[in-house]
Amino acid sequence: MEFFTRHKALILFIVFTLFCFISLSIQSSRATNVVEGAGNMVIFPFQKLYHAIQTNISLLWSGFSQLRNAQEELEKTRARLQYYESITEEVEEIKRENQQLRNLLGLNERLPYDSVLSTIISKDPDNWFRTIIINRGSSDGIKVNMPVVAFFGDEKAIIGKIIEVRGSISRILPIISPDLKIGVVFQESRYPGLLSGYSAIGKMCIVDYVDKTATIKAGDIVITSGQGGVFPQGLLVGVAIRSFPSESGAFQRVLVKPYINFDLIENVIVIKKEPDLEILKLTEEEIQQ
Amino acid sequence: MILMYIITGALVLASLIIQGHSSFDVLRIGGVKPDLVFIVIVYFAYSFGSLYGEVTGFIGGILNDAISNSPLGFMAFPKMALGFIIGFFGRSIFKENLFTIFLLIFIASIAKGVITLILAYLFHEGALSSVTSIILPESFYNALLSPPLFFLFDKIFEQELSREGR
Repeated sequence: MEFFTRHKALILFIVFTLFCFISLSIQSSRATNVVEGAGNMVIFPFQKLYHAIQTNISLLWSGFSQLRNAQEELEKTRARLQYYESITEEVEEIKRENQQLRNLLGLNERLPYDSVLSTIISKDPDNWFRTIIINRGSSDGIKVNMPVVAFFGDEKAIIGKIIEVRGSISRILPIISPDLKIGVVFQESRYPGLLSGYSAIGKMCIVDYVDKTATIKAGDIVITSGQGGVFPQGLLVGVAIRSFPSESGAFQRVLVKPYINFDLIENVIVIKKEPDLEILKLTEEEIQQ
Repeated sequence: MILMYIITGALVLASLIIQGHSSFDVLRIGGVKPDLVFIVIVYFAYSFGSLYGEVTGFIGGILNDAISNSPLGFMAFPKMALGFIIGFFGRSIFKENLFTIFLLIFIASIAKGVITLILAYLFHEGALSSVTSIILPESFYNALLSPPLFFLFDKIFEQELSREGR
């Protein structure tokens, strides 16, 4: 007994080390999920509280600072409203024309999806992983593998996909993470490729397996191909910065800057699109190979 | 003593929450942010010995793993191990002045980074480029922040430190 008392620190060190290595060896098992769930239960209420306090202070401050600009903004908004009213008719006409052309081409009508607006409450606290946590979870109908987007101007640009869902929170794996791989095409040339994060801490993405004969210019727009089973087709991803040959020389790789600035983003939209599980499984198997 | 445990828990929790909040991203330099939890853990090991350092490191690390996408134990082991090792030397070797605190945190952060990288190779995906892209800049960043934080913590734990004759 005296031995244990005297060497308490060393014994605890051995116990903790064993715990960590056993847990790392059986990662993503039920036991580790229970411990992580307990940890989440401790932290997340405080995170939500901190987020609420921080948001309210920001709102109060911005309320003061923006008051003087309110009149100017109001006038600008009125002018903009007049402009939008004038183009409503024009938009309706374009919609009708678009529908007619779609019918002519025999394309399926784009499926409308429900979506959930969410706020980012936390990000990975360390530098080794880049996930985002939002304030919506299974109680809001969110499921794993649902796509997440955010507004870039008037267009929706892609953020990532849901990888973990709990009661009132979910975790997003962003496109800047090397762990996420999605099918994309270059909007103009229609050449396909496989996009993933460029590095663990960077904000850039890389598109692999692009045909080496494809002419990719800086500024080319990258959109989702809709072939991976998770993301709908045609969502904005980013713009090409430059291309270079792959190590094998059989393809070219393209460096892409995402539309969304992941350091500044605050709100995201989860699209309630159920993944096509068969395609998803097939794509994941292909990526692993 | 109970009050000290409560303050310790509050400090670990606060640093985890602040570090994980989106607003903390403005502090990123070259894509890297400092590891506040680790600075807190090193302080406790440095001031109160191995046992206190390793327990704080283990609990802080497990909570870090729980809210991060890392496998359970990935962040906990390096923090716990460094808490244990630094507690052995403590204030007896690293006398309290700006330079030694800077050096202590810099060396400890490098060691933590190397252990994390080894774990990444063993249990996740490791890349040697992490040495220059994560480990070195984070260590430097941690070291820069540590003197004012250590000064602040010394003020908070003034009574406990004088009771233990440190």
